[in-house]
Amino acid sequence: MRQDKTHITALIDGEPVRVRRGDTILDAARKEGIYIPTLCYLEGMKSYGGCRLCLIDIKGGRGFPAACTTPLEPGMEIRTKTPELQTLRRNILEMTLSEHPYTCLVCADKKECGEFMHSTRKAGTITGCNFCTSNGDCELQDLIDYLELDDVRYPISYRGIPPVKSNPFYDLDYNLCVHCGRCVRICNEERNSNVLAFVERGNSTIVGTAFGESQTSAGCEFCGACVDVCPTGSISGKLGKWAGPPSRSVKTTCTLCSVGCSMNVNTRAGKLVDVGPAPGGRMDPPQLCIKGKFLAGDITEHPDRITVPMIRKNGRMVEVDWDEAIRVAAENLAAWRGNGFGIIGSAQDTLEENYSLQKFTRAVMNSNNIDLISSFPDPRLQEEIASHLQPKGRLEDILKADTLLVLGTDASVSHPLVENRIRKAYNAGRKVLYANSEATRTSLFSTVEINYSKCKDYNFLFVLLAELARETISGLPAGFAKQVKESLLISGLKSCSVKKDDLQAFVKALVKSRSLCIIVDESLLRDVSGLQTIKALANIRFLKAEKSNCRIMLLGNEGNLMGAAMAGAHPYLLPGLDPVSDDKALLKWNKNWDVKLSDVRGLPCNEMLSNIGRDGISALMIAGDVPVSGNLGKASLKKLKFMVQLNMFSTELTDHANVFLPVTGFLENDGHFLTLDGKIQRLHRAVPPQGKSRSVSEIISLLAGAMKADGFSTGRAGAVWKEIGSSIKIPVPQNGSPKPRFELMKPPDSRNAGSGKKSGSGKNHQDHYRYRGNRLSDLVTDLQALLESGMKEKV
Amino acid sequence: MAVSIIAITSKYAPGDKSNLIAILQDAQKKVGYITPEAVDKISGHLNISRSQIYGVASFYSQFKFNPPGRNSIKICLGTACHVQGGDFLLNALNSEIGISPNETTEDEKFDLDRVACLGCCALAPVIMVNDAIFSNMSVVKMKDLLDLYE
Repeated sequence: MRQDKTHITALIDGEPVRVRRGDTILDAARKEGIYIPTLCYLEGMKSYGGCRLCLIDIKGGRGFPAACTTPLEPGMEIRTKTPELQTLRRNILEMTLSEHPYTCLVCADKKECGEFMHSTRKAGTITGCNFCTSNGDCELQDLIDYLELDDVRYPISYRGIPPVKSNPFYDLDYNLCVHCGRCVRICNEERNSNVLAFVERGNSTIVGTAFGESQTSAGCEFCGACVDVCPTGSISGKLGKWAGPPSRSVKTTCTLCSVGCSMNVNTRAGKLVDVGPAPGGRMDPPQLCIKGKFLAGDITEHPDRITVPMIRKNGRMVEVDWDEAIRVAAENLAAWRGNGFGIIGSAQDTLEENYSLQKFTRAVMNSNNIDLISSFPDPRLQEEIASHLQPKGRLEDILKADTLLVLGTDASVSHPLVENRIRKAYNAGRKVLYANSEATRTSLFSTVEINYSKCKDYNFLFVLLAELARETISGLPAGFAKQVKESLLISGLKSCSVKKDDLQAFVKALVKSRSLCIIVDESLLRDVSGLQTIKALANIRFLKAEKSNCRIMLLGNEGNLMGAAMAGAHPYLLPGLDPVSDDKALLKWNKNWDVKLSDVRGLPCNEMLSNIGRDGISALMIAGDVPVSGNLGKASLKKLKFMVQLNMFSTELTDHANVFLPVTGFLENDGHFLTLDGKIQRLHRAVPPQGKSRSVSEIISLLAGAMKADGFSTGRAGAVWKEIGSSIKIPVPQNGSPKPRFELMKPPDSRNAGSGKKSGSGKNHQDHYRYRGNRLSDLVTDLQALLESGMKEKV
Repeated sequence: MAVSIIAITSKYAPGDKSNLIAILQDAQKKVGYITPEAVDKISGHLNISRSQIYGVASFYSQFKFNPPGRNSIKICLGTACHVQGGDFLLNALNSEIGISPNETTEDEKFDLDRVACLGCCALAPVIMVNDAIFSNMSVVKMKDLLDLYE
């Protein structure tokens, strides 16, 4: 072991360690697996040095410095567990505990507490006090064990602070708080939500908000980071608060948005405890947002879940067993093979589930009418995105870029973990150019901000591109030069009410940038000029890519939108993005599945819905919920001959369904998921399927079996994934993409104010809280209360 | 009131967090206490969250969050006054006018502060009403005293 420029060596408890120069003693010890007790330490965050429990003894040094704030120096000899240190630490912990209910410390039944707490039996086995939540995950307990503390010499000083239960999703009991400051730091430094602070002074110091207002009114985003890091349970999630210590932890992936965060799910005897760090993992919990942390759990064990199949008999839905439900569904579906049948899937389902759905549509039902609830109104967009917006921006690119161009997103609500990176980039002094038609919380973290008129996204993008083109390249493409004459530019600016100075500030920053990351909300592509928008974005990248690094990140609202299309859940595209209109591709899939596929392009979701009855669509299978309004009115539902609904909840649509098949949620599923940055994430079954519910793929297999179709596996995620892998690769590699070039676009209509009307496809753009089309605010009362109190407006 | 806060914040560079306490002091001088509106405005000007501003302001006893009363009572709880029963005075005051330290009565007649020493320990326990010191207080004397104020 030797010292060099980047690494140093030292001795910790007699063990030689070698770490990077600048690492703290605590980092080094943790790396070597040497335990030093801590309370305020959080992995990956600035050292705080607040709890003083990580004191260590350095040979020849004066006093006992804190390991978390002292950098390791070459040749140091450190001892972490001497009797002297232990005594010091015990004294410190004693003082900490003097304000914390420490009855459990001296309780004779401490050992049984975790198991039997809140038992209803009136037997001698009942133990447990009511001071803290019973998730058994108390770091103070661990410290007490390590320091062999068996009594506290100070009188109990119970603070008597009333617990706060008025916030949605979590409860506060600051009588348990030990002022480690983890929640305050993670809220401000990591999440930049800036809700929590230490208020008051001395004995009356408490974690709180301005003027004692509720967390909700202080602008809490309910990311749950404070709940995850709290070592004592002063902040505890309402779900699972009294569920007991978890017996099993499973890592899986959140599919509620396209970021695809890793999450950890704790269960006890098959019951959900919470979504949060695994026991012992509070120093480095996975960062989630309100959706993953709270909503995912709340919908999985929701009391309104329907877990038994139902069929319509004499106008009423009645519960039946799976065999009967599948038989009825299969018999009726058999009558509607061909183009009169369609499936509407969900982009929040796994690749396997979407693959199964589309295979069923094509191979069994002989139709190409397969699309997603949240698909783009113009199906061609999916191909264009795949070919134009490559290479994809990755999450880590946001922090690597020197300039961010944030277009039209409300990332703090739609993609909080992307927002998290944007905020970090802003705090690191990067340029954040923010353009949107409405002010959002993201705009607080921007260096330059442009607010253009509503629905004028493309107008703005066009003038931005024109101005950028004039600054960066000398010979503009002829057609484009004509489009961007000065006079047209001014009218262009006027059409989206942007000031020329503001635009110039944008362009100046873009020209200067050496590494650019463009973050675009999918709503820009849902505009009628979506195809042009893609071209404009690709052109900006083309202009920048010559001299610098430029990546584009598209924020799809519903997780797997791109992945599902790659798995074939698309009316125009077979799996692997093979066009239906391509004979060769069709032949290939005929061979793969040993069937004769229809060569008629399918109908996109909105057309399927509007074509009901008009000798278009007669039978539908809907994997989720489509609001009964607009394209899908009650009148057109009456014309529908047969409908199968696959959902977790009964919705308005269920009143019109002939068969209802209960499906599992994503916490109950295995599978794969394609994130917005093109990574494959794995889902693992964390909770057993509720009641009799089954995964979409399993249901499809049963249906295919009942319809005597060959080539369908058991529907287990592993088998389906193997089948997908044998024929295509996901993400589909974009090989042989043409050399990037400047593509001419249609200039935006700068006069007609109504031209930018957005057209949806059964999706409400403002409502980012959906799962398989179900409005989560209707299901989770806490979310409803939160949205009503106007979380978004709080800045 | 909002205008006067803007007049204060505009004297300081936006985003320069080191000016927080100076701005808070100016704001208190102008309005008499720190209002939620002032915290809002300062938060926007310095780019510090409202909670953090409140955290800083509540750390220092010089900042008040209630409108001052017409008369201000300071009750001494220093060593000598404490020994001589300052606590009893505080409790009696609490039940008499219904407020705790750092609060203002609803009719805005009195506000109450506790202080550590008024420099006349030989006369303990003492209280101070506005600028006058009252020595060797007792609960009865104090009640009579409060009646003198409007």
